Amino acid sequence: MNNLYTPRMSRAISKSVAIAIIVIIIAAIIAGVGYYYYASQQQKTVSIIWASTQLVPPEEQAFVKGTLLTDFEKQTGIKVSFVGMSYSDMITRITSEEQAGKVTISLIGDLHGNLDLMASKGYLTDLSKFGTLPGRTFPDVLMKYAHLHGILAYIPWMTATYVMVVNKEAFKYLPQGLTKEDVITGSTKWTYQALLEWAKNLYEKTGKKLLGFPAGPNGLFVRFLHGYLYPAFTGAQVKNFNSQDAIKMWNYLKELWQYVNPASTTWDAMADPLLKGEVWIAWDHTARIKDAIEQKPDQFVVVPVPIGPKGRGYILVVAGLAIPKGAPDPQAAWKLIDYLTKPSTQVKVLEKTGFFPTVKEASTQAPAGALQVLIKGVNAQLNAPNPIVAMIPSLGSKSGDFKSIYITAFKQIVLQGQDPQKVLNELYPQLLNLFKETGAPLPPPDSGT
Amino acid sequence: MSSNKQGYSLVERYLPYLLIAPALGYLLFFIGYPLTQGVLLAFTDQNGHFTLQHVYYLLYSPSSNFWPALEDTLALAAAIIPIQIMLALGFSLMLSANFKGKDMALYILIIPLTISDVAGGLIWYSLLTANGFFNKLFMALGIINQPIQFFGYQFRPMEFIAIVLAEVWRATALVFVIIFAGLQMISKEYIEAAEVFGAGTWTKLRHIIFPMLKPSVQTALLIRTLFAFQVFGVVMVLAGRDIPVLAGEAYYEQTILYHYGVAALYALIIAAISVVIGYIYIKMFKAQYLREVTM
Repeated sequence: MNNLYTPRMSRAISKSVAIAIIVIIIAAIIAGVGYYYYASQQQKTVSIIWASTQLVPPEEQAFVKGTLLTDFEKQTGIKVSFVGMSYSDMITRITSEEQAGKVTISLIGDLHGNLDLMASKGYLTDLSKFGTLPGRTFPDVLMKYAHLHGILAYIPWMTATYVMVVNKEAFKYLPQGLTKEDVITGSTKWTYQALLEWAKNLYEKTGKKLLGFPAGPNGLFVRFLHGYLYPAFTGAQVKNFNSQDAIKMWNYLKELWQYVNPASTTWDAMADPLLKGEVWIAWDHTARIKDAIEQKPDQFVVVPVPIGPKGRGYILVVAGLAIPKGAPDPQAAWKLIDYLTKPSTQVKVLEKTGFFPTVKEASTQAPAGALQVLIKGVNAQLNAPNPIVAMIPSLGSKSGDFKSIYITAFKQIVLQGQDPQKVLNELYPQLLNLFKETGAPLPPPDSGT
Repeated sequence: MSSNKQGYSLVERYLPYLLIAPALGYLLFFIGYPLTQGVLLAFTDQNGHFTLQHVYYLLYSPSSNFWPALEDTLALAAAIIPIQIMLALGFSLMLSANFKGKDMALYILIIPLTISDVAGGLIWYSLLTANGFFNKLFMALGIINQPIQFFGYQFRPMEFIAIVLAEVWRATALVFVIIFAGLQMISKEYIEAAEVFGAGTWTKLRHIIFPMLKPSVQTALLIRTLFAFQVFGVVMVLAGRDIPVLAGEAYYEQTILYHYGVAALYALIIAAISVVIGYIYIKMFKAQYLREVTM
């Protein structure tokens, strides 16, 4: 058994081993070249990071990753990784990346307040150098706020706001001197005085109090007080809290309340009362009236809020897209901004999330029906004359006390009939104290821009 | 052998503790821990220092609704509970008689028990609202020509009535079930014996049924009163904060105003009131006949 391998055989084996080795080497070289080629191809497909505080809930994130970004990648070949984070995380991360000089994020999606803070520290690129975005018009109001600290700090991305909804029946009872057109376009004749006369007329002709507000415990009526009435009557949310103009405002609200459906103090959202016909004119957040309009798009119109002695006060929630200084790939980020502000993309976002488009052209792109009614209304408000935009102050844990002060004033003055001056004088120091304690700046319009 | 015996007695001595250990652990974890946290929340500030600021806010701040909430919670309990006990007693006596369709009636009476308080509130809201069922019905019948307003701050007395209606409708079934069960347990022999001695209906009720129902009534009262201090969903739906109640204020302070300490204080107050009421009821209703029987 020892001589199983003859010398010839062993020579044959060594030959086949040599061939095998050569084959393996050749295969390895081919694989190596192939991998190198593949890897270099990979590097050619650009990949960027988009950090956002908006669209973070799982459902919305799935929509962003599964629909928006895959579509974007197909169009441009740019791969985007979407990173959702909280407001405080965003500030911390951008600050540390900017201070270390090693920026990994190419695009930021955040609310106006946060972006303002970043711009004030010089962390954001001036976007005006990228030129314009063709085929879309941003309302002046939004562009005005996007210019921060001497640069175009962000491109308006999505908005949310509070509007009025009118049942078309109510137009039959318009007071003298006010037309349907005035209301729908938000002309200067559509004033708070006109609203009072309209509500009074409705009450006198139908016997019902058909104006309603979400003044229940979970309702957003407090936003109407500090972000709508106060700016419209006093030009500020906080500064003129107990001024003569404010007294006039509260007296107006007392008078108006005679024609407001008393059940308002139990309502948290206006969709239901509108659908049940308990009110014909209502004010609420767009998300909380959406249901009514989706169910009966032909019955309701979304209209801008009325104008007061100082202007048309309204709250605007704006999310913007910004590029940090030293971003790894600003060009790719700009392409993503271009994609996200396209009217067709904006309509998709509205359908899935309830955030409103920031470009006028979106209203013609939306399918007829509920969405179009909503977009038209919000757009009309954004483009109506004499705006006084109010931003919700960022008071953190004290934001509850902020609301509580306005609600207490409403309860004591309007519902319980106490003397406005006395109530306001008592509450004003508490209100100022909130800003002092937290160090938060007064919000627009108090602070100017 | 002796060590064995000792071991046995050791087991015997510690076994009970071992057996109640899981229950004790459960209590500590799910009641003891949250209770401690609640007390800490109520009496410390953000930095963890002892403070009475939440108590001051609760009692004296113009934004706090504590006193009206306490008043309204007590008023609601005082209005609702007697009605429920009476109704439940009445229904129980009625249903202990034999008649056709008795089972059906029983089931129908119990239906509201299966409906959550918020849903119950919504049902009554749509029945009583200005465009609701009752107003439309009465207007169509010509009984009224203006809808009756039930809701809104200006109509608080009506809101109070609406809450009482909704609560009576929704939760009487619970009281009824307890009292009805108690009634079923009273042995027929007592009643038959009484009849032999010529007792009339009132005498039977007064001297046999009521005394023997005491434990059931006590249970029903206890459960109902404790629930009355937690009343929340129905009030929130029907009256918002127009009629403040303790549990509602706790919720509001917690979720809308972010006053976690004040919310914890409300929770502790509700707990304290519940303990006191439970104690009073147990003292008040010592079931006499049961004691005599067991003695």
